[in-house]
Amino acid sequence: MMETFKLLAPLAWRNLWRNPRRTIITLFVVSVGLWSILAVASFITAWAQSSRDATLRLLIAQGQIHAEGYMDDPNISNLMPPPGAALVAALNRPDISNWVTRLELPGVVQSEYKTLPVSLVGVDPDAERRISSIPEKIVEGRYLNGLEDDSAVIGLNLAKRLKTALGRRIILMVTAEDGWLEERSFDVVGVYDADTAFEDTYIFTGRSTMQAMVGVGDKIAQIAFEVPEDAALAGVVERLRAAAPGLDIRPWRKISLIMGAMDATMGGVIFIWLAVMMVMISIGVINTQLMAVFERTHEFGLLRALGFKSRHVLWLVTFESVLLIGLGVLIGMIAGAATVWGLSDGIDLSAFGKALEAFKAGDTLYLEVKTSDYIIFPLAIWALGILVALWPAWRAQKISPVEAMRQAT
Amino acid sequence: MKAEKKPIVSCKGITKVFGKDELAVHALRSIDLDIIEGDFATLAGPSGSGKTTLLNMIGALDHPTSGQVLIDGQPLSGMSKSQLSDLRLNKIGFIFQAYNLVPVLSARENVEFVLRLLKVEANERRTRADAALAEVGLRGLENRRPSALSGGQQQRVAIARALVARPRIVLADEPTANLDSTTTGELVDLMYRLNQESGTTFLIGTHDPRVMEHSKRHIEMTDGQIESDIRA
Ligand SMILES: Nc1ncnc2c1ncn2[C@@H]1O[C@H](COP(=O)(O)OP(=O)(O)O)[C@@H](O)[C@H]1O
Ligand SMILES: [Mg+2]
Repeated sequence: MMETFKLLAPLAWRNLWRNPRRTIITLFVVSVGLWSILAVASFITAWAQSSRDATLRLLIAQGQIHAEGYMDDPNISNLMPPPGAALVAALNRPDISNWVTRLELPGVVQSEYKTLPVSLVGVDPDAERRISSIPEKIVEGRYLNGLEDDSAVIGLNLAKRLKTALGRRIILMVTAEDGWLEERSFDVVGVYDADTAFEDTYIFTGRSTMQAMVGVGDKIAQIAFEVPEDAALAGVVERLRAAAPGLDIRPWRKISLIMGAMDATMGGVIFIWLAVMMVMISIGVINTQLMAVFERTHEFGLLRALGFKSRHVLWLVTFESVLLIGLGVLIGMIAGAATVWGLSDGIDLSAFGKALEAFKAGDTLYLEVKTSDYIIFPLAIWALGILVALWPAWRAQKISPVEAMRQAT
Repeated sequence: MKAEKKPIVSCKGITKVFGKDELAVHALRSIDLDIIEGDFATLAGPSGSGKTTLLNMIGALDHPTSGQVLIDGQPLSGMSKSQLSDLRLNKIGFIFQAYNLVPVLSARENVEFVLRLLKVEANERRTRADAALAEVGLRGLENRRPSALSGGQQQRVAIARALVARPRIVLADEPTANLDSTTTGELVDLMYRLNQESGTTFLIGTHDPRVMEHSKRHIEMTDGQIESDIRA
């Protein structure tokens, strides 16, 4: 075995460089293919993750706790009391970085010009500053100050639609505990800038103010919590479910179904790209190796006449493919890593402006080298390349030694 | 006849038919031939008379349609492909008309190649390859690739390679066809000298009169049959 290797290795390596142009083209196809897979994977992963993080940072956080039934019908009869001692203890463990309680109910907002359906959210402003990005997204005025704050913070687009502005008053109507429609006027003290759909939906006020308005005492609609590690989320959810058996506790994928689906789609895009590149690489490798084999028909015949066995020919051609594709994969990996490191300052997306707002994280995307990508994709390409190159190798080992004499005369 | 010497190659009633029915070509028609140890035999005949086909049968490169080829008394029929490879490696040296050498290997590596297949240890391999190259007059050119050698030099490398493993018989198919007359003369002299000094058996397919001048046994073929077989 070792002897065969020593016999074939130098032959294979030198054969690779007999037609440098063709070898370089194949190396190019393999390495650019792999490079693009790695780059696309990094980019899509970074994009998906940062746009997901940005969306979750607005309000959802990584997980939420509700009373059973609230998610299907978010009305006043499906509220829950504030968390008990066991749940608070569970929420304060180090695998949860932050949590807040909110009261959220559907309602109607009215200005002098218009009446629109909205969701009114009563928040604890100090806690929100740690878990939500809304306080940072105030573009006019200020965010809320404390649980008792009785003013309102509304979205930019909603302000436009209501034809209202900072310092003006709006009326909010919400169904109260007694079944009557309760209404109250609020000063607009702040306007935030998120995506349009979000801006049109959410109006914020102090939680105690809202609780008093609808007469629900200290009841709340939700607890939102944040974990430092998304990978640990499932375990955290399990732990919370054990601490609060009667409540509906969900990870973000089960809260925002669209985002869960988007998360899966991004992975799908990477695999479609992988498949396309694999087909391209396969065609390139088969083409090159078939040509290399046909050109050397006489030579394989000669080798066979000299005592080379057909399996030696099979090994030789396969070995050439192993080297060729291996080299291409290596170059592709280096190029992929270099690209990611070269862009480690971040990719500026601000040029896309409003068009990509719903997907956009911040204006800058940070790529990173994911170790598993750099093991799985190169190995997959290498294995595939060798697999498809077995066909030309098989053709080569079938060449009979008579070819040597026939072609020579 | 030197009946006391055992034949190295024995052909018994060999026929070879290429193709079928109306398209059938009878390349060999019932060939009976013994090659005896030490022979320096030439196989002559017009183009298409079956020389190459016969050499392929003897060299275990192809199967006869009927009849038997025996090398050292062993019938080739019934041997597996792998066994035939081993037989070629151990008993037969080949010299073809052209493209005899592996282009990516140097002269020395080409000669060593056969020894590598025979699993000869590295030092001995090198000593034997260099000695074989010196024997054919290529001392100093060991590291050249075939593309940097003349046609005559390439054929000398092929001879060195054919002989380095000390085969029972060297089969040469038109080894001088691509060479000028001076080079041909030198090459034939070389093969003849090797036959005389080491007793290596040669069977040379050729229609070159300069090759036939030296032959100790002259076999003439026409139309797939042996017409005459004369010892000088
Ligand atoms: N593989 C083949 N298929 C069909 N016909 C062949 C094949 N090889 C040789 N022949 C035919 O067999 C005959 C003998 O050929 P060959 O042995 O090459 O003659 P020579 O070497 O004496 O010129 C020729 O008619 C040739 O066309
Ligand atoms: Mg011929």
